[in-house]
Amino acid sequence: MQLQLGDEVEGVLNLSLVGRLDTPGVDIIETPLTARLVPRGASAIIDLSQVTFVGSGGIRMFITIARALGRKGGKLVLYGAQPLVAQVFETTSLNQIVPVRSDATAAVAVVRT
Amino acid sequence: MPGQRVEIAFAGTHAGFARGFERLRAALDAERLEGATRYDVELVFEEIVANIVGHGARNGCEPRVHVTLEPRPDSIVLIFADDGVPFDPRGRPDPVIPKSLAEARVGGFGLMLVRHAASSLDYERTADDCNCLTVVVPRR
Repeated sequence: MQLQLGDEVEGVLNLSLVGRLDTPGVDIIETPLTARLVPRGASAIIDLSQVTFVGSGGIRMFITIARALGRKGGKLVLYGAQPLVAQVFETTSLNQIVPVRSDATAAVAVVRT
Repeated sequence: MPGQRVEIAFAGTHAGFARGFERLRAALDAERLEGATRYDVELVFEEIVANIVGHGARNGCEPRVHVTLEPRPDSIVLIFADDGVPFDPRGRPDPVIPKSLAEARVGGFGLMLVRHAASSLDYERTADDCNCLTVVVPRR
């Protein structure tokens, strides 16, 4: 599991996750991702196009980070999820509480609203 | 064409979990299982074993886990046996869909995903004091 920092999109922090968000993947990425996003309280979008698997640990991680970011006035928006990953978001209703969009442009638009 | 039954045994620890998952993937590769069905099988394995590793220890002893993978023409059957704390997942309610992020629970999604991926879930506490959970994942 890897965290990659991308160029800012219209002033919004843009990150990519690469790999599997299973139990070992969440163990590796949760602390650095939280440290990168939450203390600054800035809104961020996360590209999930290279994430091939998300389990309940990944759902828990996104809810926890989005909630902590929200307390500081920031927003977390996910985008580019592969179809089977998107299905997990729908099954758990994650997409009803954390915005999930098809691409970076749409994700930034959510941050701007 | 469905392949052979595979038996995977490992300690109910994080290291054992990782080794078990490697063996599961090798078995699924041999079965040439891909796409949505493979995702569902890996998801069921991930969620059930993570639960055993996280909550199954009894009197400070890590549980022993034994998983049987049985490919059938229309489904993949997974049988999870462990000697940990008794746990019947069938009656556990799914988390309520929250109205906001502030109200959202952060747990309970694992069994929800298992129920969604499976066509049936059967549980028994065996005579030798083990959990035995049978999950049928339909091919799709």
